[in-house]
Amino acid sequence: MIKFLATFLTLYSAATFAILEVTVLKKAEDAFPIVISPFLVKGDAQQGESIAHIMRDNFNRSGEFSASSADYVVSSQVDFDKWQAKKVEAIVIGKLEQVSKKIFNVEIELLDVYSKKTLYAKKFAVHNSGIRRIAHYLSDQIYFALLGEKGSFDTRLAYVTVTNKAQGIREYRLEIADSDAQNPQTILRAANPILSPAWSPDQNKIAYVSFKNGRSEVFIQYPFMRRKTQKLPYFDGIASSPAWHPNGESIVLTLSRDGNKDIYSYHLKEKKLTQLTHDIGIDTEASYSADGERIVFTSNRSGQVQVYIKHLKTGKIKRATFDGSYNAKAVFSPDGKSLALVHRVDRDYRIALLDIATKDLLVMTQNKLDESPFFSPNGSMIIFATNKGDSGVLSVVSIMGHQTFELASKAGEVREPNWSHYSK
Amino acid sequence: MLKATSLITAAVLLSSCSSTVEQLYEKVAPRPSVVTDQENLAATQENVIAPDSSSFRPQEFAGSHSRSAVQNSAASMAVAQLKNSNTKFVLHFSYDGIEIDELATQEVIKHANFMRDNPTLNLRLEGHADERGTREYNLALGENRALAVKEILGLYDLSSRVQVISFGEEKPIAQLHDESAWQQNRRVEFIYQ
Repeated sequence: MIKFLATFLTLYSAATFAILEVTVLKKAEDAFPIVISPFLVKGDAQQGESIAHIMRDNFNRSGEFSASSADYVVSSQVDFDKWQAKKVEAIVIGKLEQVSKKIFNVEIELLDVYSKKTLYAKKFAVHNSGIRRIAHYLSDQIYFALLGEKGSFDTRLAYVTVTNKAQGIREYRLEIADSDAQNPQTILRAANPILSPAWSPDQNKIAYVSFKNGRSEVFIQYPFMRRKTQKLPYFDGIASSPAWHPNGESIVLTLSRDGNKDIYSYHLKEKKLTQLTHDIGIDTEASYSADGERIVFTSNRSGQVQVYIKHLKTGKIKRATFDGSYNAKAVFSPDGKSLALVHRVDRDYRIALLDIATKDLLVMTQNKLDESPFFSPNGSMIIFATNKGDSGVLSVVSIMGHQTFELASKAGEVREPNWSHYSK
Repeated sequence: MLKATSLITAAVLLSSCSSTVEQLYEKVAPRPSVVTDQENLAATQENVIAPDSSSFRPQEFAGSHSRSAVQNSAASMAVAQLKNSNTKFVLHFSYDGIEIDELATQEVIKHANFMRDNPTLNLRLEGHADERGTREYNLALGENRALAVKEILGLYDLSSRVQVISFGEEKPIAQLHDESAWQQNRRVEFIYQ
């Protein structure tokens, strides 16, 4: 673990970039009250003090917890009655001890205030540079211990920022950051639009659309490696809307080779192109289900813009959306049972959650121009782009329906969010 | 809602830009005041009509046949200027629409004639969409709008000289979030090269 983190973080350079502002908007009514006490720190472990802080922020952003600190470092002698009186249900205590110049021992314990039992405990060594990562990893462990579901903390975001430079001149940046928007890195700057970033399942690559050659083309970047950007072969017309197969070996994308926009998959090693849809209408915005057996895509084949699912084994295509005149850019939930999509309500475009089996459609947002929904890897949240004031921001809504947090940039607009899978 | 409003112009970058196809003709290829006939053609020692001249072609725009040598050199200069001027002609569309109505079709035909009269010119058609709906769908929609224009030009055997690209909703002319801005942004730009 130590070795891995050290390698990982060396590649991940520490330059500072514009950090998105995170605003926690609302917690669930019945948010789980938890105390994450400051860690007991021994030795020169400045970074260590931030562990509890990062964890608290994580839990508060999830919308499902109300995480607070204690006034003092809570150690092994826990006064459970006192915490019961404060209506706290669980408490996290921890210790960070310097054992060599750059190696620290971390100890953590999660206690149930009512049963007085230990729900999770762990002790391990960590490299100095891996402290942030450890805080996210521990957040996932505690989230699981309390809810029986995976968290989405040790993951990353990708998004596009747009700033107005001189009059009429814009700068587009493809950025990545930790799931809490910290540790941001610009991996591409461009004078032309960047669209549709998509993390590969192994988290080592990002596919995206660039107009740098004057037309839309799909590229693959290696954010953590000094490898050249890879460009997919030249296709006549539009090449856009990339999404990865869950095995990471191929990309599904939209091509308009003969002017007609259809969905294709492109196998990266075999360099083989397979056409997945054949329709004279627009077919675009395809993405895979987690098992790779289905793709969902947008098509105007009915005369309206609607969402369709193709079963790749049978080849059958079924329309998935029937409510409203415009449904687009759908993505499967990690369990494959529902879709997050853009749904038009009167004149507004909002994010909706569709139960694929029952066809129940639930509108999740209340704005005018919501787009680009994407699930958190545990499926508990949907991140999307929206307009606030006159600028684009990213917003996150829990699938229970409450808006949980927002990510904004002082420098300009943020759009096109994509959430990585779990770290390995 | 209108299916497709007529071809209007955007005077971009250069204030002295020609604003209509007709004005372009004034500059590039002075139009004969009388419909050309064989006698006129012979008298001006000019080259003859392109053999594949289409019946769609309105006679009054058959400009080049009556150019004098002086006019021709003026015309080629004007064409060179046009290539570099980034002059844009803009055709607007309805919401989620790619249809080009009869009036707009007539305007596109004028461009077809203009291109046939000026064989050194190529045309780039840039398709755009308004901000509503998803970005990737709009990218596809923008291409379909440009392709709808190219289809008309194709009837005049101009396909090989027409390049189509789409920017979807990424390059709006108007930045506001209202119907008038959206209407301006749903467009195909004609850029001569």
